[in-house]
Amino acid sequence: MEIVIYGVINSVTLVLMALGFTLVYGVSRLPNFAHGALYVVAGYLTWIFMNRLGLNYGLSVLFALIVTGLIGAAIYQFVLIRVRGMPISEIIASYAIGLAILEGLRWGGLKGSTFTLPPFVEGSVEILGVSVDFQRLLVVLIGAVMMSSLWLFVTRTRLGLALKGMAQDERAALTLGIDSDRMAVVAMALGSGLAGLAAVTLFPLGNIVVEAGYNVLIMAVAVCIVGGLGSWTGAVLAAFLIGFAQILTVVYLGAHFQVVVALIAIIITLVLRPSGLFGRQKELEERV
Amino acid sequence: MFEAKGLMVFYENMLALNNVSLGCGVNQIIGVFGANSAGKSTLMYTLSGIMLDIQKKEEMAGGERITIRGEINFNGVNIMGMPPAHRAKAGIVLCPERRRIFPESTVLENLRIGGYLATARQARDTLEYVFTIFPALKRLVNRLGGFLSGGEQQMLAIGRSLMAQPKLLLLDEPLLGLSPVIQYLLAKSIRNIRDERGTSIIVSEQYARPIMPIIDYGYILENGAAVVEGTNKELMDNPDVKSAYFGS
Repeated sequence: MEIVIYGVINSVTLVLMALGFTLVYGVSRLPNFAHGALYVVAGYLTWIFMNRLGLNYGLSVLFALIVTGLIGAAIYQFVLIRVRGMPISEIIASYAIGLAILEGLRWGGLKGSTFTLPPFVEGSVEILGVSVDFQRLLVVLIGAVMMSSLWLFVTRTRLGLALKGMAQDERAALTLGIDSDRMAVVAMALGSGLAGLAAVTLFPLGNIVVEAGYNVLIMAVAVCIVGGLGSWTGAVLAAFLIGFAQILTVVYLGAHFQVVVALIAIIITLVLRPSGLFGRQKELEERV
Repeated sequence: MFEAKGLMVFYENMLALNNVSLGCGVNQIIGVFGANSAGKSTLMYTLSGIMLDIQKKEEMAGGERITIRGEINFNGVNIMGMPPAHRAKAGIVLCPERRRIFPESTVLENLRIGGYLATARQARDTLEYVFTIFPALKRLVNRLGGFLSGGEQQMLAIGRSLMAQPKLLLLDEPLLGLSPVIQYLLAKSIRNIRDERGTSIIVSEQYARPIMPIIDYGYILENGAAVVEGTNKELMDNPDVKSAYFGS
C-alpha cells in the first residue's frame, strides 16, 4: 500500500517538474535548459516576498509565479530568439542562463537551511494505514488541478488552441496568422510559470537549495525523453513509469539509487525507442 | 487589389521563379497551372510570405541561401517584407500544399484553431458556413484530423483557411491525389466560396481540367516563368496549352 500511495505522489511530483519543460518544447521545439533555474528562482522569490517584504503567503506565491513567468518570457525575447532554429545553440544558451542564475544565487548566499517555505497546511493524515502529510496530498491535488486546467486551456481558449496548432504544425499555424515568436514567448512564460508552481508546491517538503535546480532539470529531461519529446500524454505516462520505478528502487535497493533510475530510463529509451513512448520525430523523418 | 510584379526566387543559384507577374482583382478566381517543379508552390509560398519563414529557417540552420526579389502590392501597400502571420491578418490566407491538417486535433478543433484571427461572432458564422458547403465535415466533427480521407482533409483544410477570414485565399494544389468526383465537387465549392463570400481566390493546380472552367484569368508556369496567360477561354483555345494540359 505504501508503494502505491508514495508511488502516485512521487509520479505527480515528476509531472509537476516536467510539464513546463515539455510544454515549451512541444510548442516551440525549444529545449529550455534554464527550466531548473526558473524553478529555484520561483521558490527563492516566494521566500523573499514573504520574509523581506513581509507579504502573506498566498500573495508571495502569486507574485513569484508572475515574475518567474516574465523572466521566462524575457529569456526568449532577448536571448533565445536570436538562436532559434539552431538546436545546439538553444541548449547552450539556455543552459548558460540557467547556470548563471543558479550559481549567481549560490554566490549571493542561497545555501544552508535558512531558506524554507512553510507547508500550505500543517499536519498529516492516515490513508489505508499509511501516514501521509497534507502537503504531499496537496501535491497530488495541485498536480491534478494543473493538468486539467492546462487541458481546458488548450481545448477551450483561443490562445490555448493556437498553442496546440503551433505544436502540431508550425507552417500550417503560420498560414492562419498564428505568430511563431509570439507563441514561443507565451509558451516560455507559461512553462516558467508551471516550473514556479511546481517549486512552491514542492519546496515546503524540504529546503530551497540550488541543487534542486539541477535535479529538476535532470528529472524533466528524463521524463520528456522517455515520454517522447513534446508529447504531453507521453510526459504524464513517463512520469508515472519513472515515479513508480523510483519508489520500488527505494524500497528494494536503497534511497541513493533513486536518481540513477531516471538516467537508466533515458539510456533504455534511447536504445530501444529513440523517439520515446509517444514521440513523433522519428515517424516524421521516415515519412519524408 | 492584389498584384505581384517581377517575382524572382533563387535557391542558392537555382532560379525557382523567373520574373513572374500576376494580378488578382476583387471577386476574381485566378488559376496558376504548371507541371511538377514548375514553381507553383514556390509562388504560393512567396505570395503568402511563408517563403520568408523558410528563408529564415534555412539561414539559421546553415542550409540553402534563398533570395527573394520583386514587389507584391495588396490594396496599394507593398507587403514584400511583411511576415506571414501579418499577411494572414491582413487577409492573405494560404491553404497549403498537402493540406497540413493538424493530425491530433479533431475536425472541430482544427476549424477553431483556424479561427484564431476571427472574432467570436465571425468564427460562429464561418463555422456554420463551412458546414453548409461541406456537409460531410459536420458528421465528422469529433474525428481526429489524421484519420480523415484525402477529400475530407482537403475540405477541412479549405474550411480552416476560411475560418481565418481571408480576403484573398491562396489554394495550393487543392485537388492533388483526389478522385475525379471529389475534384469536380471541390471546384464547384471553390466557385461558390467566391460567389457567396466575395473572397478573391488564386488557385494553383497541376491538373487543369476541373479548375479551368471556374477561373476568370489564368497563367501557365513553366520552369519558374509565366509563359502563357489569358482568360479561361483564351487558355483553352491556345493549341500549346491544349496539347499540354488537356491531352488533345
